[in-house]
Amino acid sequence: MATIVQVKDLHKEFGSVHALDGVSMTVEAGEWIAIMGPSGSGKTTLINILGGLDTPTSGKAIVDGTDVARLDENGLSRFRAEKIGFVFQQFHLVPYLSALENVMLAQYFHSTTDESEARAALERVGLADRIDHLPSQLSGGEQQRVAVARALINQPKLILADEPTGNLDQANEEIVLHLLRNLHAEGHTILMVTHAYSIGQLADRRIDLAHGRLAHPAEQPLNRRRSDRVPSR
Amino acid sequence: MFGRLLWKMLRGNRGRLAVALVAVTSGAAVISALLNLQFDVERKLTQEFRTLGANVVISPRETAQGATPNSPVLMDQLGVVATVQKSPDPNVVATAPFLYVVARAEDTPVVVAGTWLDQLPKLDPTWKLSGDWITSRDNAAECLVGQTAAQQLHIAPGSQIELDYLGRSARFRVAGIIEAGGTEDDQVFANLESVQNLAGLRGQIGLVQVSVSGTPASIGAYIARLSASLPGYEVRPLRAVTEAGGNLLDRTRLLILAMVLLILTLTALCVLATMAALAMERRADVGLMKALGGSISRIVGLFLAEVGILGATGGLIGCIAGIALARWMGQRVFGATIGLRWEIFPLTIALMVGVALAGAFPLRLLGRVKPAVILRGQ
Repeated sequence: MATIVQVKDLHKEFGSVHALDGVSMTVEAGEWIAIMGPSGSGKTTLINILGGLDTPTSGKAIVDGTDVARLDENGLSRFRAEKIGFVFQQFHLVPYLSALENVMLAQYFHSTTDESEARAALERVGLADRIDHLPSQLSGGEQQRVAVARALINQPKLILADEPTGNLDQANEEIVLHLLRNLHAEGHTILMVTHAYSIGQLADRRIDLAHGRLAHPAEQPLNRRRSDRVPSR
Repeated sequence: MFGRLLWKMLRGNRGRLAVALVAVTSGAAVISALLNLQFDVERKLTQEFRTLGANVVISPRETAQGATPNSPVLMDQLGVVATVQKSPDPNVVATAPFLYVVARAEDTPVVVAGTWLDQLPKLDPTWKLSGDWITSRDNAAECLVGQTAAQQLHIAPGSQIELDYLGRSARFRVAGIIEAGGTEDDQVFANLESVQNLAGLRGQIGLVQVSVSGTPASIGAYIARLSASLPGYEVRPLRAVTEAGGNLLDRTRLLILAMVLLILTLTALCVLATMAALAMERRADVGLMKALGGSISRIVGLFLAEVGILGATGGLIGCIAGIALARWMGQRVFGATIGLRWEIFPLTIALMVGVALAGAFPLRLLGRVKPAVILRGQ
């Protein structure tokens, strides 16, 4: 497998706080990685840097051959549009756009919009009958499924999910995890931040952070692709 | 998608945008009304000044030989009037030759002005009349009398008046009493030829009064043209009227310009306040759009397009309201309808779009939003 993410001696400081303190790691294409650790351990900071939402203080963060630290504002925008799909804990949908338009928004910033593709993405996440609904008319689980459809629409190289089930009830958590499992099975590379050990177990590999450092520098490889053994719904 | 996004953004923020739209529309209404007045005020004011009476006088040169206070130099009526009439100008409202003599009426001295009586109402439209105007230039049987003279002579419309001058006399029926508010109230106005006969000055006149409409510049050009045609005479503007018109026009324009600038500033401030609040509300949307790969120029471009539409819509609605306002102001101030000036529409709309964009300055600050900070919920 090819290396899609390469992090070398990554540091991020917020004033006197060292959010990341010399993190190094690699991710192979098609892997599902669970990034775990207590609050303030640097999980979100790490995926924000990998997603081009933040820049490191020092070190390298290379995603699909692009060193994120070297990109300017416009370069970061293009990088995010072309290579990254985000799924956030808070869903972050535009409240005055319908489910379909929220998905098309990602297309718009990537290149050109294709309504039929956006519809197909929503159908894929089981929202064929909720396409024209506003976020306020959707349940939390449905909103997160719209966010997953939006993250997928531009065929990103890397899907970054920050606590994707953190705001969902058990039933909706299952639905979203099922979607992530399917995406992984199709070969997508997923980096998922989670607090929940049970969810972390679904990943191929777990990276534990503590105080901005890898808790186990050798990381924790798993022997197999766990998503393969999770029954589909 | 751009149009779709724009439409949804306008709908999604209609409450706050409505406030800005009201500000832009109100500003545009007043500005378009003022600009309409600005464009039309020259014509209206010059029309107003024409109502103050004649503004050009043709007279013999003061330095002419033989001129004394008791024996003024006279002009040849045929020669002068023919020359004036050979220089036609569409702005000439009225022309009237005058011959003044001091005659006696019932032993009371009175200034008698021989003139073309049909021209008097046009020469000075502010005069008030009790009785009837004399509409025929050849009417030698009737005269008009100033109100002061009428009181002294105890006459009223329909009375007879007999004028004596150096042993000659003429009798007229009084058609009307004039209230001019000036020296004309002491005078008697009669048929020019009759007064020339009374004075024994056939074909002679003292001066010609002309009422010309137009700008001070066009009146000046007319005077120059007439002076060239009448080299032996003095053609001069009545400065008090012409210069007052020019000065008032300049001051009115300056006042309108100052008001337009003030309203533009106030409108921009109102839009600025609304957009500052909107920018705060939109930080989350902008953070998300940036996270999805939206470039600063594309995101800010969306918001500026929204503001541009706001300015154009407010400008258009305000312009229509402003035309109505200008018409109302025209009726109230000038007593006449202000003409519709089509150039006001693009000018006002362009101004309001510019003001709305200037007022949208806070939206440009959205370019500095850090998506990571916003998405963390800070």
